[in-house]
Amino acid sequence: MTDVLLLVKRSLRVVLRQPAAIIPSVAISVFFLFVYNSGLSSVADLPGFQGSYLAFILPVAIVSAAVSGAGLAGQELIRDIESGYFTKLLLTPTARLSLVWGPMIAAATLLVAQVVLIIGIALLLGLDPATGVPGLLAVLFFAFVWGMAFAGYSVLMALKTKNAAAAQAATFAFFPLIFLSTTFVPEEYITAEWLKWAAAINPTTYVFEAMRSLLIEGWQTGPLLIGLAVVVGFASLTGGLALRAAYKETQLTR
Amino acid sequence: MVQKSVCVREVADRSIVAEQLTRTFDELVAVDAVDLQVASGEIFGFLGPNGAGKSTLVRVLTTILAPTQGRAMVAGHDVARAGAAVRCAIGVALQDVGLDGLMTAQELLILQGRVFGMPSGEARDNAVRLLETVGLADVDPRKRVRDYSGGMKRRLDLALALVHRPGILFLDEPTTGLDPVSRAAIWEEVRRLNRDDGVTIFLTTQYLEEADRLAGHVAIIDKGRIVAEGTPTELKREIGNESVTLTFADNATAGRAAGVLATMGERRQQAGDELVVYFSSAGGVVAEVVRRLDEAGVPLQGLALSQPSLDDVFLRATGVRLSDADETDHDATDAASDGSAAGRPAGDRGGAS
Repeated sequence: MTDVLLLVKRSLRVVLRQPAAIIPSVAISVFFLFVYNSGLSSVADLPGFQGSYLAFILPVAIVSAAVSGAGLAGQELIRDIESGYFTKLLLTPTARLSLVWGPMIAAATLLVAQVVLIIGIALLLGLDPATGVPGLLAVLFFAFVWGMAFAGYSVLMALKTKNAAAAQAATFAFFPLIFLSTTFVPEEYITAEWLKWAAAINPTTYVFEAMRSLLIEGWQTGPLLIGLAVVVGFASLTGGLALRAAYKETQLTR
Repeated sequence: MVQKSVCVREVADRSIVAEQLTRTFDELVAVDAVDLQVASGEIFGFLGPNGAGKSTLVRVLTTILAPTQGRAMVAGHDVARAGAAVRCAIGVALQDVGLDGLMTAQELLILQGRVFGMPSGEARDNAVRLLETVGLADVDPRKRVRDYSGGMKRRLDLALALVHRPGILFLDEPTTGLDPVSRAAIWEEVRRLNRDDGVTIFLTTQYLEEADRLAGHVAIIDKGRIVAEGTPTELKREIGNESVTLTFADNATAGRAAGVLATMGERRQQAGDELVVYFSSAGGVVAEVVRRLDEAGVPLQGLALSQPSLDDVFLRATGVRLSDADETDHDATDAASDGSAAGRPAGDRGGAS
């Protein structure tokens, strides 16, 4: 466990030495928040819409930050593979698990810092979360686990492709997930049957629902449990696959 | 899942044993049924041209590549089954340095110490000591590794391999591409580690001189197979005590000369336009060699008298010179000729032709 912490610390340290790697992801999520909040806020005037549009759109900014920001984990891993430092770490008694989880946890931690920033901006814009500070902490928790899920996916792609551009492209493949969902309007306003169907099978929907329930409605067991199951399940899946890839790749490559 | 193991310091067993060790990549057999025995406290030199399988062998012995067949024990542990225990006992500096350019030397050394289980204070002190050992103590501590020169990176990489005071050190071509001064410094450090700390050293090289000067035992590898093994002296003695290297205008002439001299010396070996004749003592026979060639009308272009080098051993085992086996690598060619220059000065050739 000490090893994981050591490697997380090291990943954070080197990522912070490359501001260019972090700024775009922060910028994109802040952009989402401003543009959609000011451009689509009249949705909140529709009959039956609950709460403020700001609280409704905030999870979209958070989830998109996860998709773009968690790619850092994979990029850092590729940087290490290319420099040979990954091999250096393989030559230590460190468990392979730490080598995979180190960059994942670092990326998810950075994501949380980014989400704190986004929430801070939202509070300045007038966000009034239904569940108060504990609810915001719960939102951060969801963001962290969701970030781990994407970081796991990006690490998996990094180990498979060993190519920064390919791994980056692979994470962008997840962008449609954000939009094939209840992204801009609640489910009851979606008229296209195919989009309703897509939203229903899209795990992102349940993350939105869980966060929105916290921000708009208050503590509600149903959406929270479903959301928790979805993020933990997704993170376990990608994290597990990444670990398996780490074992496989490190034994088969030259 | 490999459990985090606390490394036991002072590993008594510092040997390396390989039995029929084989590693293939699809069709390519990179390491082919290699048998090896390296005793505790020995410097073992593994000599061969680029692509002979040296690096693959090192990667298998250091647990980062699984063997396809056969078995290897390092420090008494099976490399395929007890990887973490092996990694605790070994220090490794691969041919390509593995350094994160965004970190400083201190940060790398401290982290390395920590992942080998040192408390942070000890890891810090150790880092300072190692920077002195490898001569990097005077470098600005804030300097990031990406701004280091090639030689500095190599020395830092060696320091990283020494962090946990390993009983066995693997050095994969530690001096390839280094200038003569850095090379001599690395040699001195390798000797010191072996002499003072009893570290077993497994060294691969394409430089004859390096193997000859450093190693107590040498194995020659070609196309994944060990083709000769022994102490440098033994290997050279097998060939003969002295040799006469004759140079001709072309391969055909060298072939004719081989026929003419068929009864001379203990052994003859042709390599391209060169013919090497090995004698137990060559002193009196040079005149005889020249006379016979002259009588047969075979024009001789150059003649050199020398002690057999490891290059001759390589030539005998593989039929090519190590220096020719790797023509693309100029460093290797230069070093190979350096290695035999002591016994075969260029002036001798010119003088005799």
